[in-house]
Amino acid sequence: MKLTYNWLKEFVDITISPQALADKLTMAGLEVTSLEARDGDTVIEIEITSNRPDWLSVVGIAREVAAVTGKKLKLPAVSGYPVTRLSGYPDLELNIENKHDCPLYTARIITGVTVKPSPEWLQRRLELIGCRSVNNIVDITNYVLFTWGEPLHAFDLDTLSRGSIVVRRAKMGEKMLMINGQEKQLDPGILVIADRQKPVAVAGVMGSKETEVSEKTKDILLEAAVFDPVVVRRGRQALGLQSESAYRFERGVDRENADLSSQKAVALIGESAGGRCVLAKHAGALKTPGKQVSLELEVLNSLLGVVIEPARVKRILISLGFKVSAKSKSVLTAGVPSFRQDVCLDRDLVEEAARIFGYDNIPTSLPAFVAQAQYINSSGDTDFIKDCLTSLGLFEAVTHSLVDDAFLRKSGISQAEPVALQNPLSEEQGVLRTTLIPSLLRCVAGNLNQNQGLVNIFEVAHVFSRAAGEVTEKPVVSFVLCGQRNFWLAQGRLQDEMGPLHVKGIIETIFSRAGIRDYGFRAQENCPEIEVLIKGECAGKIYMPRKDALEQFQIKNKKVFAAELSLDKLFAAADFKKRFKALAAYPAISRDVSLVIKADVPVAEILSAIKEKAGALLRDVSVVDCYQGKQIPAGFKGLTISCLYRSDEGTLAESQIAPLHAAASEVLRERFSAVLR
Amino acid sequence: MDIEAIKINIGTEIQDLASLEALEELRVKYLGRKGVLAELTGSIPGLPVEARAAFGQSVNALKNKITLLIEEKKKLLAAPAAGGSAERVDIGMPGIVHEPGRLHPLTQVTREICAIFTRMGFSIIEGPEIETEFNNFTGLNIPLEHPSREAFDTFYLKADHRAPTTDHLLLRSHTSPVQIRVMKEKKPPLAVVVPGRVYRPDAVDASHSFMFHQIEGFIVDKNIRFSDLKGILEFFAKQVFGQDILMRFRPHFFPFTEPSAEVDISCVICKAKGCSACGRKGWIEILGSGMIHPNVFKHVGYDPKKYSGFAFGMGVERIAMLKYGINDIRLFYENDLRFLKQF
Repeated sequence: MKLTYNWLKEFVDITISPQALADKLTMAGLEVTSLEARDGDTVIEIEITSNRPDWLSVVGIAREVAAVTGKKLKLPAVSGYPVTRLSGYPDLELNIENKHDCPLYTARIITGVTVKPSPEWLQRRLELIGCRSVNNIVDITNYVLFTWGEPLHAFDLDTLSRGSIVVRRAKMGEKMLMINGQEKQLDPGILVIADRQKPVAVAGVMGSKETEVSEKTKDILLEAAVFDPVVVRRGRQALGLQSESAYRFERGVDRENADLSSQKAVALIGESAGGRCVLAKHAGALKTPGKQVSLELEVLNSLLGVVIEPARVKRILISLGFKVSAKSKSVLTAGVPSFRQDVCLDRDLVEEAARIFGYDNIPTSLPAFVAQAQYINSSGDTDFIKDCLTSLGLFEAVTHSLVDDAFLRKSGISQAEPVALQNPLSEEQGVLRTTLIPSLLRCVAGNLNQNQGLVNIFEVAHVFSRAAGEVTEKPVVSFVLCGQRNFWLAQGRLQDEMGPLHVKGIIETIFSRAGIRDYGFRAQENCPEIEVLIKGECAGKIYMPRKDALEQFQIKNKKVFAAELSLDKLFAAADFKKRFKALAAYPAISRDVSLVIKADVPVAEILSAIKEKAGALLRDVSVVDCYQGKQIPAGFKGLTISCLYRSDEGTLAESQIAPLHAAASEVLRERFSAVLR
Repeated sequence: MDIEAIKINIGTEIQDLASLEALEELRVKYLGRKGVLAELTGSIPGLPVEARAAFGQSVNALKNKITLLIEEKKKLLAAPAAGGSAERVDIGMPGIVHEPGRLHPLTQVTREICAIFTRMGFSIIEGPEIETEFNNFTGLNIPLEHPSREAFDTFYLKADHRAPTTDHLLLRSHTSPVQIRVMKEKKPPLAVVVPGRVYRPDAVDASHSFMFHQIEGFIVDKNIRFSDLKGILEFFAKQVFGQDILMRFRPHFFPFTEPSAEVDISCVICKAKGCSACGRKGWIEILGSGMIHPNVFKHVGYDPKKYSGFAFGMGVERIAMLKYGINDIRLFYENDLRFLKQF
């Protein structure tokens, strides 16, 4: 809302500078967003909150200025036009189809006007607030709108079929060429003003081109009405139009202001365009039923945490236009003015008192709050995962949840049906993602472009899908590894190329810290995916995207390894309870087995064979070396496996271990034709 | 020379030595062929016979003592300096470390903010990103067909003909629906913060994104006052932006709170004088807040006469941008490692 300093001064004495005024208004809830000195005046722009349509007028803001500066609002007496119909002038029928759509319609007919440019003061004032001057009639309707907040519309009476104005829903198939030159198809959701034959305006939004006031216009019909905010809003949205009138009708105009504003416009028209008001009619009640709201002062004081003197509260409410009476010492009753339809509850009065009293004058305190017995931290799980992954050298990414359907399919990763948006900004953000991996691959590509040698990133977020019509939303963690990690060690530089075992190592670390022991990995034949199992159930996958899929993401000549795990499944299996186990009382003895074995024998099978044979004294068995090369025949691999034996009964003697270790070694020879070294 | 005098002095003499060379000199001086002890031994024949045996024993004891002290000192001088290597360290060489990753700056800011509130007894509760119209709008006193909804333009999910639904599903446009979820499930007293992703169909530019993060907070109990809202939020803002900031609470309108307030802090650059960073205003808005509207309480079945409360919400990106001096919101979602490694 734009207005000027001098314009305001017509309605209230202002003795402070525009800047001081702006600060006061801002601190009363009318945020002044700009002040601009122009042509000996100051243009003030204010952001008006949607609950206060009364502030969409100079008079409404002047009332607020009066309240915050302690001055009186000066409203000129209405120089009314008592005329209802001059004798001899034909009557006008006002036909309102539905009172809910249009609670009040007033019409005035003014004959013999001279349409010409507006007087200079009017042109300048409108121009200062960014409103284009059209002609004296149109400018006056706009001037009244900005000053009093009531949208008016003037029709060229000669373009209307005489004798009747109908406010009705549009019929299917009706069309209208609007004042802005656009032709619009109407439908029964849209409220129109019509004459006997045709719609002539979309109610509260915009008039038709055909009936607009032009230089040829002699007689005018001036409309001042109240339309249902929802109907105006639907019509404006359906037709894709914007107007100052619709902006006000949607927020709610003051019914008691409609006829008065019409009278003010008639007076101004008389001054600048001549003419005579020959008819004034209305349909619907001019007055609103009065509303009373009571306020217990104790409620006000205890809600704000400050005591405001009753007299002060009363004075504030009166300055804002309320009619205040004291029911008792502790209760005030406020008669709500018609322009304050937003005030319904005592809480609304508390806000008014607090606003004008000044939030700055309310002290600060801390609540005597009793903390809940049970503290909840629902983000604790994701915190755990994020901390785990950063400690392992991964960086956290945050990517958009809305993606392109085609982009999602590119990776070849997800088969789930995505959830589509009804009103996306563009196809590129048309669906909710079913997996985070494509988004992370895009981050990899971006970082490779910046010559990053290592891109290890993760994200924790929700994935969405539709299954059997039901929409599901699940938290997952995903990570991707790409490139080489350089280790600067005492021995010099070492390079570590990311691979699937790095992915495995990360998953195992998460599981180990989460107390998950029963897990495994299941590779599938001819499939670049490995299932991650928790208690035998699939909880996620390791992905090794194919070259062609990576090229879709502009990742060339690089391998990427990824994983996505369901956090629901992970945390269902997690056990964060820690229990102390007594430290081993007796020393362990370590024995290695070195062997050469066919390259395709899985290590997991070798280890389980050893465990099976070595018995309970074997406490740990792990691969400590794996090599292929010169000394090993083609198609074979050399393995060194470390076995750790320990007893809780006493120190083990060599004679106790030797037969166990021999049996464990022997089984490898028998079962896998391993050659022991 | 007097044996007793040598005994007394030799200890300090050895202790003061700093090098193996000096130690060798001392050894020659006492134990060498022409050294002090050789001289003492040489003097034995000139002593009375009855004194010779005792004197000889004393010289021998002294010799043993000196030999022992020299050996000990030798070991000490040969050992490397405490904790270090005997070789020289070129401390300009790169340090050897396994470099950990880092949390995204939005996570870091979210955690910092949540931690401030959890220290005051708030719980952290999250909610889903797909919401119902009721939780996102109606329950929060936002009428479906009112201009107040325009601040909350919303992505709707495409309806599925297989599952006709009575309540439209949407992507939450703020974290406030979690207020409804929590209040429907639990009874006061409540003190909760809600971090999470939210969505609005805004065209992307340096300060807008169709997805961003919010933190919502609310307290409900008997006798919660507007002054408490001011106190808690002032404590919070000073923790994040420093004790010397100025603050102001400006009346505003939110459908789900009344009275409502927007909270500004003084521009960190010009200290409320007005500069280009704050658009000459001197103040920077950081959050919206207010006393929870009685209609919201009615929707969740709380008695507005019995309970009061306040709620607040802030954009995490906005706070992070102010805190770190980031000028483009898009940087948060590009995940350039050069960016991520700065935080």
